[in-house]
Amino acid sequence: MTEIRVKNACVIDPIRGINGEIMDIAIRDGRIVESVSDRAEVIDAGRCLTLPGGIDSHTHVSGTKVNFGRYMSPEDMRAGRTKRKGKMHVTSGYYVPTTFGNSYRYSAMGYTTLLEGAMAPLEARHTHEEFTATPHQDMLANTLFDGNWAVMDAVREKDVRKTAAVVAWTLKAARGYGIKLTNPGGTEAWGWGEDLTGIQEMVPHFAVTPAEIITTMMRANELLGLPHSVHLHCNNLGKPGNYQTTLDTFDIVPDLNPDRQTLYATHVQFHAYGGGTWKNICSRAEDITRSINSKSQIVIDMGQIMFGRTMTMTADGPMEFNLHCLHNNKWSNHDVELETGSGIIPVTYSKKSAVNCIMWAIGLELALLTKNPWQCLLETDNPNGAPFVKYPEIIGLLMSKRYRDEECATLHAETEKRTSLCALERELDWHDIAVMTRAGQAKALGIVSQGKGHLGIGAEADIAIYPIRTDSVDPAREYRKVVEGFQKTRYTIKRGRVVSRDGEIIVDGANATFWVDAKVPEDLMMENDPEFIKRFEQFYTVRMSNYPVQDVYLPRGRRIETEAFT
Amino acid sequence: MRVILESKVRAKPNLPIEAEAIIPRNFLKGTDLLVYEGNKERTLSELFWIFVEGTAVAPENIEVVLKGDTSRIKRVGEYMDTGSIIIEGDIGMHCGNFMSGGTIEIRGNADSWLGREMRGGTILCRGNASHYCATGYRGEKKGMQGGKVEVSGNTGDFCAEYLAGGTVHIHGSTGDFPGVEMRGGELIIEGDATRPCGNMKNGSCVILGTVHDMLPTFEKTGQQVLPEWKITADVYKGDVANRGKGTLMVACRSLSRQTP
Repeated sequence: MTEIRVKNACVIDPIRGINGEIMDIAIRDGRIVESVSDRAEVIDAGRCLTLPGGIDSHTHVSGTKVNFGRYMSPEDMRAGRTKRKGKMHVTSGYYVPTTFGNSYRYSAMGYTTLLEGAMAPLEARHTHEEFTATPHQDMLANTLFDGNWAVMDAVREKDVRKTAAVVAWTLKAARGYGIKLTNPGGTEAWGWGEDLTGIQEMVPHFAVTPAEIITTMMRANELLGLPHSVHLHCNNLGKPGNYQTTLDTFDIVPDLNPDRQTLYATHVQFHAYGGGTWKNICSRAEDITRSINSKSQIVIDMGQIMFGRTMTMTADGPMEFNLHCLHNNKWSNHDVELETGSGIIPVTYSKKSAVNCIMWAIGLELALLTKNPWQCLLETDNPNGAPFVKYPEIIGLLMSKRYRDEECATLHAETEKRTSLCALERELDWHDIAVMTRAGQAKALGIVSQGKGHLGIGAEADIAIYPIRTDSVDPAREYRKVVEGFQKTRYTIKRGRVVSRDGEIIVDGANATFWVDAKVPEDLMMENDPEFIKRFEQFYTVRMSNYPVQDVYLPRGRRIETEAFT
Repeated sequence: MRVILESKVRAKPNLPIEAEAIIPRNFLKGTDLLVYEGNKERTLSELFWIFVEGTAVAPENIEVVLKGDTSRIKRVGEYMDTGSIIIEGDIGMHCGNFMSGGTIEIRGNADSWLGREMRGGTILCRGNASHYCATGYRGEKKGMQGGKVEVSGNTGDFCAEYLAGGTVHIHGSTGDFPGVEMRGGELIIEGDATRPCGNMKNGSCVILGTVHDMLPTFEKTGQQVLPEWKITADVYKGDVANRGKGTLMVACRSLSRQTP
């Protein structure tokens, strides 16, 4: 029995409605409890900011795509090198670091749970293997369904129950957590050398539209009672004028779940562009946030970009091809049979580029114009917008108008004309930041009941103590202190163990992988469906019996079971 | 001042020595330097007989001479900025990495990655150089950016890959893909070359010998007399497959296979 008492903690716990209270936290065997004995180890937080462990609800840290990013950029491995030290493995890499590099740096920033944004079911084993080598964070894997043939067949038949059954079977086979749609239909069209330009266009050879895929999947998701909602990367990412597609998509989202959103739209910064070409691109963040402010059934994340070098990687193959034509640099493209695809290119966001400056401003506008912080979460689509180590700077920018103004002064002159960022006075407070970096994520991902994102009795003891005194630091003026404070926790506690102290990892990790076992009625079990089996054996290059991920790939798997619908 | 380092006979002569400490500037304060042999840290005197002749007040007056079996010594002259190094025999990989000034003379052969990402200074190799002579790091977009590399013999594959500035002069022949991905600078090959300058963006390359397997993505724009080489050369622009604006000049009648 291990016991810890964290005393003198200045706690912000939005889910429980605690905002800046000085209190003690008692931990026993990895969970938060009412009280502990006198023998408990005492950690003095010294009235510093104490939050539930950080949660990243959309990041790319594991799997084939990330690893191919590593293959493609050996030059990145020259950066971020650290030596073996104590319990720490060697690490290297800056925007696509080694798995341990990812894990240690997230841990130093107080993050304890990550959602891998896109896992192709066929390549799930690789993702799970890298999860076990990302030891300090609990992992969840969003599973790609954007071009899944069985799903599209069921959608064409307008059969929500069948769609749900395919999703349930695939999630279980891949040990996935939720439904991810990346450019629904568009990635499959790209497999045939085409792309879609709107949500009402037909996917070639399948006679379904992205709108039908999205709506049917949302209904199937709620029918299955999955903890997370549909997680959508809208069509037309990164194209000037794409905000209309994004608004059209938001308009077809019904409100199906009273506990959480019905649609999680990811990296919306990339989907909020006005204009028609790269020459006249402008911000449409106001239109997008007006839509979000009127629809509580939608949660978005920022997809903030930060200046510097990084790597873009997504299942959205056609978009990466367009970017490749623009940059004329190295590029990778990949097709995952019957399921999805992917593309990867390196990119440098530069302050000299008007387009990049406008993108930077749009991300911040989205966060500042969304009234309810629970509806706009903080992330960079790591590493697409920027490596996650930039999160503290984003927090600083959101909390300080002065910091934004100073940054704006160094940007391309067009930024001010084509975005409204400079006119925004809003400065977020500590509570907003706590919502946007952990509580909001926990709620959106549906893991509050798993004891994530809050510090209530029975919750997992994932705690981040930052060296920031909220009573003496004025974030509007002393934004440097805020940025530095969020870069390195004094203590990161993961499941009741101190894993990181002042940025240094002090124990071997033992994370868990959450996956969803969604139950369906007997007659809808895909493993018994002769038509599904026939098509599977006909088209896949693997046998259906070899397809599911074996339990050996999840040494610390945590199954979340849902109730069967009728 | 002259510092002579004569390599001692080692129990395991194939074990590489990582000797980035061997640059003239470091000898200003004595010869008490550390290098790695395999994964073991060694003092210089454990591996070399050290002789010092004369004194120096400035690093530019220091000459370092390496004698004996030096073929497994890597990274000699890394980040060197002044002075000179003379290697009497062969030298190991990565000699003259990031060099920005001074002179390195190799009287034997050089192993791969000679003068990688060099910024300035001069490297003279009297023998042959192996693969990736005067190039960049894998994945990086700029290779050698300044200075001069001259090789009296032949080089291996990928000579002057990603060359972005400076001069690379090969008196012999090169292997496959010399000057591939060139961004700038000048590449002169007096001997033969195979598939030169693929995906070249800018810069110029002159080949006096025979070109094997000329890439079809170069556009012939005319002929030019090159008085310094006493030849007439066919002039090509390319690599047009990827918007390249480089110049490739090949001595007339030296193509083994004409472009279509």
